[in-house]
Amino acid sequence: MRKFLWRRVNELNEKKTLSSSLKKVILGIVLSTVAAFMLATYVITKREQIDYGMRDSENVLRTLSSNISSEMEKYMSLSRLIMTEDRLVTFLRASTLSVDIGMINDARYGIMDILNVTEGVDTVMVFREDMIMLATRNFMYIYDYDRMDGNEWKQEIYDGFGSTVVSLDTFGIAARKDSKAVVTVGRAIYDTSSQKRTGILLMNISNNVFERMLVRIRYNNICILGDDGTYIAGNKGYAQYFDDYFLSEKIKYRNIKIGGESQLLSGCQVPNLPIVILRVSPYGMEGIPFRMLYVLLFLLTVFMIIAVYVVLFIRQTITNPIYELSASMENNKKSGELRKIDVEVPYSELEMLEGDYNSMIDHVNELFDELVEKEQTLQRAELRVLQEQIKPHFLYNSIETIGYMAMDSGAEKVHDALETLGSFYRNFLSKGDREIPLSREIWIVKDYLSLQKLRYGDILEDEYHIDEKTQDFVVPKLILQPLVENCIYHGIRMKGEKGKIEITSKLVDGELHLTVKDTGVGMKQEDIDKILCSKREEMDSNDSESFGLWGTIERIRYYAGRDDVVRIASEIGEFTEIEFIIPNKSALASRGE
Amino acid sequence: MIIDDEESARKLMRASIDYESLGMQVVGEAASGIEAINTIDELRPDIAFVDINMPFMDGIEFTTVATGRYPNLIIIIMTAVDQFEYARKCVSLPVFDYMLKPMVRAEVTKVLERAKEKLESSETAYSEELKSAGESEEEISEEGNLGEANATEVIKKYVKENFTDSKLNLAFIAQNFGFSSSYLSRKFKQDTGKNFVEYLTDLRMKKAIKYAENGYKMYQTASEVGIPDPNYFSRCFKKYAGMSYSEFVAEKCVQPGTSVS
Repeated sequence: MRKFLWRRVNELNEKKTLSSSLKKVILGIVLSTVAAFMLATYVITKREQIDYGMRDSENVLRTLSSNISSEMEKYMSLSRLIMTEDRLVTFLRASTLSVDIGMINDARYGIMDILNVTEGVDTVMVFREDMIMLATRNFMYIYDYDRMDGNEWKQEIYDGFGSTVVSLDTFGIAARKDSKAVVTVGRAIYDTSSQKRTGILLMNISNNVFERMLVRIRYNNICILGDDGTYIAGNKGYAQYFDDYFLSEKIKYRNIKIGGESQLLSGCQVPNLPIVILRVSPYGMEGIPFRMLYVLLFLLTVFMIIAVYVVLFIRQTITNPIYELSASMENNKKSGELRKIDVEVPYSELEMLEGDYNSMIDHVNELFDELVEKEQTLQRAELRVLQEQIKPHFLYNSIETIGYMAMDSGAEKVHDALETLGSFYRNFLSKGDREIPLSREIWIVKDYLSLQKLRYGDILEDEYHIDEKTQDFVVPKLILQPLVENCIYHGIRMKGEKGKIEITSKLVDGELHLTVKDTGVGMKQEDIDKILCSKREEMDSNDSESFGLWGTIERIRYYAGRDDVVRIASEIGEFTEIEFIIPNKSALASRGE
Repeated sequence: MIIDDEESARKLMRASIDYESLGMQVVGEAASGIEAINTIDELRPDIAFVDINMPFMDGIEFTTVATGRYPNLIIIIMTAVDQFEYARKCVSLPVFDYMLKPMVRAEVTKVLERAKEKLESSETAYSEELKSAGESEEEISEEGNLGEANATEVIKKYVKENFTDSKLNLAFIAQNFGFSSSYLSRKFKQDTGKNFVEYLTDLRMKKAIKYAENGYKMYQTASEVGIPDPNYFSRCFKKYAGMSYSEFVAEKCVQPGTSVS
């Protein structure tokens, strides 16, 4: 049953089944939900991470930027202090001719006295208007004298009118020998009493200042650059990411990939200074909104459980009962019996289906009964008509009259023939009985053969070996006569020689074995097979040659209720022997008599 | 001519009708279609009663063959069973009438009277035709004796090759080779000293003796040599060999090597 059910299901799978399409739909929904969930999670996580990263970067950059600003502020104040140092003022006020090496050294010491109390100043350079200069750490620098003689850098400083102008690398006139970048604070010096410009002061601030600053706030993912991209301090690897995009006081962001990993690059210019800060930060786990994700995950699980439950529910309560219904209907069909089916179904809709089927079965059965009854009525009527047509009494009386006439005129032979004919018809009709004792069946054959001998002359002889015990055995009527007819027309007459028909009967295990053997032309094996195996549909009723024999075989099979009751043996040119096995049906016989 | 497989039926047919008063006579009988094919050329009937239900060659098949070869032959079908299928086949054949057994004399007489009328009306036309045919025949014989001598040889050769065909007879040969059968019959006898039927039967019997010597069953030999009706074959054989087939086979087995000529 189970196996059978699956076969059915497999057959159905060729088409669409409710359960399979349901499975597909549910699977589709689950998959798309999971996909949507993943996508949403990804997007939310990503955005939260970016937001978090940006906020984080902003804090750091703003802090750092203001730190740098205030640091620079400190150095600017320092520059003012240096400007007012007495020995420097003396140096600046002296006429060109009176300046000597002693005066320069005095001024330098003066500056160095001030610088001793501070850190981070790499060097201080002072130029007089006549370009006589002094520098605290002269030997560290290489000078670009061409540029120094030009006015371009001076003009830049003059434009500040005494306030500080910040630039990089000593305004381009000098660079450290070890190429380290420096931030330069420059300003024009004006005499305090005459208010006349007396020179220029340049103060180079070492990049160590910025390094220290970074170390202090413990960031290693920050790079400090000049506004032309020159590396100043911090993580040198980030210098390559610099471009003009970051020359803005507002913080700018950019997504970059480092080692295949996505990172956030943020940067800004320190206000009013030629300094840019770049920061690279990974999108850390800190940004992921785990609580929200847990809620989503929970909802997803709940949804999946519901989906699975729906599938199981529908299978349990709809498709499985339908299969069971269908299987029992199929069983009904196979068994050939039209019984009502009784299957437990959980819902009234399915019960309706079952009820409909059952009422259809009822209806079909009714129709069958009706049909059978009609058929029987028709058969009875036809039999009556047939008997009416034959009018046996009229026939018998006529035969008797003619017989008497023949005897009266001395035609003994004619009387004998008519007597045989009368006897044949009496047994042949047998009051309409369908089953008769074997002895009577033998009489039919004997009469039939003597009439045939009259017709065809001396072409055959007949022999009977009838076991005494079989005389009263009940057999279906007219099973021997068609066989004998077959012997004559398809056996003996085809041979053109005198033939013999032998009829034998014996009892074996309570069953009657009836053999008809003729010495005719024999039957080919393929013809035997055809006769024995053919079904009604294959048998052409117009093919009268074998139809009589086949019909008799069918009748005996039907009577016996099984197929192995006929055996045909033959040798071409020698004989054909047909054996019937007829079971004892005394119950049937008693009803028939 | 009466063609029926039942001897008593043929006898009844012959005895019960007063043919003389109709100006007719029964020229012969045949017990099967096969026998009829072999004897009809000698009997040359105007009217043939043909039973439908005969073994080896039934009435339908015989009628089909005969209407092709003898367009003037009046065929009256007789049958004991009024099966629809037979009736349908008969309708498509040019038979003169269709009668159910048992036959009633009055009906048979009526049909024969009608047949006679038809024969008489066509008699005039036929005799005229015969006259012109005779003329043309003479023309042919004048034209070339050599060609016709050859024709006999060709026909003999053809018969030798085809005598196992059970439908072979004089009318068929005549039709095939473009002669009238009466002319061919005369010519054949003239050229070979035997009439056609004798010649054909001789060929078949010679072959049959060979089969008999090999111990073949009669019905098998009969169908091998072109006379599938063993009853008719048996009569032919007896006439030819002077003894019945089974006697011949028995003798052959007792004294192997003896040949009967």
